Amino acid sequence: MQAVLAIAGLTWKAAFRFRLFLVLTGLLLVAVVGLPLLIQDDGTARGFTQILLTYTLSTITGLLGLSTLWLACGTLARDIEDCQMQVLATKPVARWQIWLGKWFGIMALNAALLAIAGGGVYVLIQWRASRLPADEQAVLRNEVMVARGSAGQKNRDADIDADTERYLQAQLKASPVDDQADLAEVRKQIRERVAGTLQLVPANSAREWRIDLGHSKSYFRDQPMQLRVKFNAGQRSASGTFFGEWRVGDPKTTNYWQSEMMSLAPDTFHEFAIPANLCDDQGRLNIFFLNPNDTSLSFPLADGISVLFPEGGFALNYARGLGIILCWLALLTALGLTAASFLSFPVAAFFALGLLVVGLSSDTLAEAVGNGSVAAGNEETGVAGHSVADVFLIPAFKGVLTVLNLARSFSPIESLSGGQSIPWGELGAAFVQIVLLLGGAIALVGILLFNRRELATAQGTQ
Amino acid sequence: MKPRAKKSLLLLLAVLLLLGAGQVQHSLNADRNRLGLTRVAALDNAPPMLAFTTVALGGFRGLISNLLWIRANDLQQDDKFFEAMQLARWITDLEPHFTQVWLFQGWNMAYNISVKFKDFPDRWRWVESGISLLRDDGLRYNPNDVLIHRELSWFFQHKMGANLDDANLYYKQQWAEEMKPYFGDNGTNFEELLQPRTPAAVQRLHDFTNQFKMDPAFAKKVDAQYGPLDWRLPEAHAIYWAAAGLDDAARFPDKVKPDDLVTLRRSIYQSMLQALHHGRLIANPFTETYSMGPNLELIPRVNAAYEEEMADEVKAGDQNMRDHMSGAHRNFLRDAVYFLYENDRVADAAKWFKYLAEQYPDKTIIENDTNSFPRNVSLDEFAIATAQIDINETSQERVTSAVQGLLTRAYLELAIGQDERYAGYKLLAGKVYHRYMSKSADKDGQNVRTPLPPFDLLNRYVLNQVLDPQQGPPYGARAVIRSQLGLAAETNAPVTPVPVPVPAAPDLTNTPAINPR
Repeated sequence: MQAVLAIAGLTWKAAFRFRLFLVLTGLLLVAVVGLPLLIQDDGTARGFTQILLTYTLSTITGLLGLSTLWLACGTLARDIEDCQMQVLATKPVARWQIWLGKWFGIMALNAALLAIAGGGVYVLIQWRASRLPADEQAVLRNEVMVARGSAGQKNRDADIDADTERYLQAQLKASPVDDQADLAEVRKQIRERVAGTLQLVPANSAREWRIDLGHSKSYFRDQPMQLRVKFNAGQRSASGTFFGEWRVGDPKTTNYWQSEMMSLAPDTFHEFAIPANLCDDQGRLNIFFLNPNDTSLSFPLADGISVLFPEGGFALNYARGLGIILCWLALLTALGLTAASFLSFPVAAFFALGLLVVGLSSDTLAEAVGNGSVAAGNEETGVAGHSVADVFLIPAFKGVLTVLNLARSFSPIESLSGGQSIPWGELGAAFVQIVLLLGGAIALVGILLFNRRELATAQGTQ
Repeated sequence: MKPRAKKSLLLLLAVLLLLGAGQVQHSLNADRNRLGLTRVAALDNAPPMLAFTTVALGGFRGLISNLLWIRANDLQQDDKFFEAMQLARWITDLEPHFTQVWLFQGWNMAYNISVKFKDFPDRWRWVESGISLLRDDGLRYNPNDVLIHRELSWFFQHKMGANLDDANLYYKQQWAEEMKPYFGDNGTNFEELLQPRTPAAVQRLHDFTNQFKMDPAFAKKVDAQYGPLDWRLPEAHAIYWAAAGLDDAARFPDKVKPDDLVTLRRSIYQSMLQALHHGRLIANPFTETYSMGPNLELIPRVNAAYEEEMADEVKAGDQNMRDHMSGAHRNFLRDAVYFLYENDRVADAAKWFKYLAEQYPDKTIIENDTNSFPRNVSLDEFAIATAQIDINETSQERVTSAVQGLLTRAYLELAIGQDERYAGYKLLAGKVYHRYMSKSADKDGQNVRTPLPPFDLLNRYVLNQVLDPQQGPPYGARAVIRSQLGLAAETNAPVTPVPVPVPAAPDLTNTPAINPR
């Protein structure tokens, strides 16, 4: 371990010797201070804080990500090309210790830079928030600078499956279906119909949901909560919106809240505050919706209705968000070092950047997998594209996506700007998936390659 | 030929060709400008950062703009709007001469994003942002662009002026509050803007021209040509921006497509029609809100605009459009007559009713009445039938309720100083009442099968409701009504109750009904 730490210390020293630390610190602080002067918000304190968090944290992640790749490639490859590694390799230090030492050194550097820049953003946001009027501060405290958990409808898949089976059997009795393919289609249609009835609020009628907050109840005693709703409409309205009225709580008691008639757009998430302590003794929240329109409205089972409640403070949530960003940087460090383990510096940097671009293009890969082809389809006729390369590219894309999703399934910046909680479990999962699984696998390959590399063959700059 | 002489000749030729190219450069530039081929024209009035960006990025501007556009689209689909303003600004900065980019981004903010918010102040912020994008920046870099003028006019006319958005009254109220300091409490005062005499007035003029990018002299000209308009209302501004577009088009005729001019002209007369319907802002001091009434002074101007437009369509040889326009003109005249009657301007109503009959003698004027040619219908009959269609009922209960509604409205108009409307509504209530009674009576005009309660009783009941301290309007409004009607001042004594006037039950037998009076 001492050897690993010694190498890490040398990496730190090199970073200071080459003024890298100072330059990066300067760049990051300029980004943190300068960006708020350049960006244009939507005119609300909430919007400003959200855009500030998004842009500064994205810039910090981008800058640190690129510098990490560059540094990781450079620190190993240049040491080999300058023949310094040959001197080091003759010491009683194993190659894996050198590799890990470099990794720890770069990560310590990243952690320090992320702490400085992240701390700067935090201080800036707190400072700006403290200058706002009290009501806007309250909005920020309740909706952005908070860690909000959410609870939605309970999973109804089992009920839907049971009902689907019951209706299917009834239908089969009435008119048997022989073909298995047809049977599957009939089952699918019945399932959609059953699920649809659970989502629907018919025209000029009302609907009730009960959300069980159970164990979370203690988190939000006396704290205001928000209702987050989204619906789809069967028909368009001339105004683009539909009316709706909400009632939350127990109508038999005074613990009850009723909204004014709201004008709500379909296909959009709406959040609005509801008073504190509307749950019953068991931590259940009753929600009623009155649909006075001549059109049925459908609230998706997955995210149609949910309750947001304060789960923790912003500071710790923010720290956990930065923790996930640090996990990403750990992966990039491993990637850069692995590339430098068998390639010269320019080629390693190019290779690592290439892989990063592929990683950032996962949406394109996902689209191709979704379409079942890499060839473009005809949007107008709905005919899917086809290519002979699909046979091997689509399975390959699926594999790549599975791997990439280990790292990309986390979105700390989005969560922070939306005031959503990043639980410890999510940070733990990020560490396991990104650092241990992905980073570990890449590191293993890198250490193996570095171990087998003939250092004397390196044709450096001489 | 010696190499030296050959080189000299070639050099001379190069110089001559260069000079020749220089000679045609000027006309080439003029042609590019005229045909709109210049895609990288220098930006006028652009901030240094934007000027630098547009030059430095060159052809990559389009690429970056596309990426930003994709991001904006993705975020919008995920209901994340906090970046929308920034992204729109960047996209338009990268393509400052691409009109469609401005139109889309402005429209997206004012229409698509605004309705995504449930709170009206949030919606208003986005509508204003859409307007600001086009007015402050779009026109700054494309000062003569007809389509940007047209779109700006449309936002005022349709988004704010029409009633399709549930928040339209809020928009109107906010806009009225913004405009009031410049155009006064009546929305018609140009004096201070044209000739500011105090430092505060000079400051207001400065704010007006800088913030709203409007020219008071041009606004006055527009008012003289199309008004009188209430400049606190969006329709006046819709007309202003459409007129500004026409003005620019007249100065640069070779850059304008004829169809674009048609849309500007339509915007003007459609906004004038809207202003006729609700172009007068009536402040309610008791509730501190505004309501809107018709701007009857506009009738001759709107009529002239329609006639001009129809004449233009005939000149253009578009008979279909001319027919369409004449239908719209007839509807306008019917509305005008009804509004005048409703506002107790019966003589004016009669004048326009006569004009309607002269212009369209062979067209019916009452819905669902195939015999309602102007020669067969009197002004009274037309007005009452129109009110009846508004009420849309012939049932005893609903007509009772409608008469009560008209009377209530009459007293509320009286409270806010709209005496003519008070008289008009009261007159209309009486006419609707008597028309129903006469239609429900038997052939002798004696027995009414399903009679209404006596008119006086209905009137007293409504008045008592209006003057009731518990259920009626605020104290100030009640005091005005009492004063106007010559009633004693309000006391703490209980109001003498008037029984709820209940229509007599319809006789379900075949025996003749007896008039309950």
